Amino acid sequence: MTRVTGQTPKISLRNVGKQFTVRASKDQPEGTTLTALEGITLDVAAGEFITLVGPSGSGKTTLLDLLAGLTRPDTGQILVDGKEVTGPGRDRAVVFQQYALFPWRTAAANVAFGLEGTGSEGRRLNRKERADKARHYLELVGLSGFEDRYPHELSGGMKQRVAIARSLAYEPDVLLMDEPFAALDAQTREQLQEELLRIWRATGKTIIFITHGIDEAVYLGQRVAVLSSRPGRLKQIVDIDLGERSGDGDVRSDAVFVEHRHKVWSLLHDEVRKAQDAGHAKIRPDGFAPDEAPQLSKGQISTGRAA
Amino acid sequence: MTAPTLTKDAVAPAASAAPTADAGWTAGAARSPAARHLPSLVRAIARKAGRGIWASGAIVLFLLLWELGPTYLASASTRVFLPPLHEVLRALGTLIDKGQLQNHLAASLTRSASGFGIAVVSAVALGLLVAWYRSLDRFLNPLLEVFRNTAALALLPVFTLLLGIGETSKISIVAYAAFFPVLLNTIAGVRTVDPLLIRAARSLGLSNFRLFQKVILPSAVPTIFTGIRMAGTSSILVLIAAEMVGAKAGLGYLIVNSQMSFLIPDMYAGILTVSLLGLLVNYLLVAVERHFSRWRTAVGSQSN
Ligand SMILES: Nc1ncnc2c1ncn2[C@@H]1O[C@H](COP(=O)(O)OP(=O)(O)O)[C@@H](O)[C@H]1O
Ligand SMILES: [Mg+2]
Repeated sequence: MTRVTGQTPKISLRNVGKQFTVRASKDQPEGTTLTALEGITLDVAAGEFITLVGPSGSGKTTLLDLLAGLTRPDTGQILVDGKEVTGPGRDRAVVFQQYALFPWRTAAANVAFGLEGTGSEGRRLNRKERADKARHYLELVGLSGFEDRYPHELSGGMKQRVAIARSLAYEPDVLLMDEPFAALDAQTREQLQEELLRIWRATGKTIIFITHGIDEAVYLGQRVAVLSSRPGRLKQIVDIDLGERSGDGDVRSDAVFVEHRHKVWSLLHDEVRKAQDAGHAKIRPDGFAPDEAPQLSKGQISTGRAA
Repeated sequence: MTAPTLTKDAVAPAASAAPTADAGWTAGAARSPAARHLPSLVRAIARKAGRGIWASGAIVLFLLLWELGPTYLASASTRVFLPPLHEVLRALGTLIDKGQLQNHLAASLTRSASGFGIAVVSAVALGLLVAWYRSLDRFLNPLLEVFRNTAALALLPVFTLLLGIGETSKISIVAYAAFFPVLLNTIAGVRTVDPLLIRAARSLGLSNFRLFQKVILPSAVPTIFTGIRMAGTSSILVLIAAEMVGAKAGLGYLIVNSQMSFLIPDMYAGILTVSLLGLLVNYLLVAVERHFSRWRTAVGSQSN
């Protein structure tokens, strides 16, 4: 499944599993454990752009938290550059779906947020250096001139650009993105997808991009990893080869694209139906269903019915 | 590893691609802000003036009633206890001329500022601790509930007995009254920090201390200032009451002493000063609160 040869992979997941204890409820007076992820083994090469799709509740966010070092796996190991992940680190940065910008900071100050501690070389950047860097990365995401805007003065797409700039400013090797474009309208989303590809090519980051949009996964990823419904296992990895896509043509209507798309769709479709049959709606113990997006546009996982 | 090696042409498409759908509206606004805003500015001023007249109407009517009511409507005996406005203002002028009002005002302000200051510092500190350490919260919360629900003025005799009728007891009771709004709002402010922001900060590798300093505190500041504003109002209220009970100076003393010496216009002058002081303090604290909550402006409320 892996095409990494020779050198050590940038990221290596070895039999990673994660369980949650579910609080006791009326139906289940005993607290139970819920297996969110099971036996995930995956290598990601340096500079690779890999997308991860899976039905709602298949443990995508859980996996991202593990990669970010925000939580620890219950089984297995996660290695970055051959070293085990024990916590957040300067080599990885996260972009969240809900932007997670600090509302009391301007765009530039948000971007500079990660730069305020001691840097990787043990040196602290001064105010001017931080401002320069912030300006540079805002420019990179196409937001020159918006340095002094507060988040509430920016549109959703612009906020996500700032969030991406913030992660990039931290100068990580790995960018972890959890459905970053899911809350945006279709047009803004496509625009940001293209820009993300451009930034990826320009910076050579390793990107792990989580989505529940099939189109998005196929469009962005060099490989698409499909997760099974709960407990999340790695169902299959689909290699995507869309040829040279620098042209202006609509890649999404290419025969190759459609073919890949269909492949991922069939893989996911089974899983979504399985998830439904098992009654696994992704609902947290407190009844909150964070990922139940009300609008599902075409290309996103439609639940069953077409069977 | 690879520091981003970016050339100008890698950046250029971003700059040209960005403003199309996403940033289009700002580009329009930036072109000529002055030209676009001028007519709307005039309209805004006119609307403000109209609103101002309407808003001061009730006050003007009230003052008129105060001026004319006692002379034309009230009986002679009531008139003694309810002098018309101009007499009160004259008394106020005399008090200012003789420097008495300034002395009383200074005494009251010193007390309320000291008490208020002590309360704000200690309540914010304790609030941060309680909000951060759950176990401390569980331990202290029942006791805090009891004190919080005991009216400050009910404790005035205790303060007087223990601390005498001097400055200490008055400053203490002001501090007590101002303490709880600040404490509760500090706790609430820290508790309601968006967990996503904490996750984001953690993913950027912030230590506990930095997390507190850079995320939790700034995010709690507007709520804390709401508490401070509430505390400001209640500290004046309690101080005046305390000064009425036992003091040799201060606005509360001025009011009660004038009443007992039958200097009724002086009494009203004192009351008027108290209400103006209250208004001023509230206005200042609201302005401070607003300043610190700028970023909270709702998404939909940007008006061009
Ligand atoms: N902190 C938690 N406590 C208990 N269960 C959780 C927690 N986080 C996630 N889960 C459960 O783990 C499963 C996977 O969740 P998540 O990773 O958020 O899914 P996805 O991002 O793929 O939609 C879900 O069933 C969810 O209810
Ligand atoms: Mg998720």
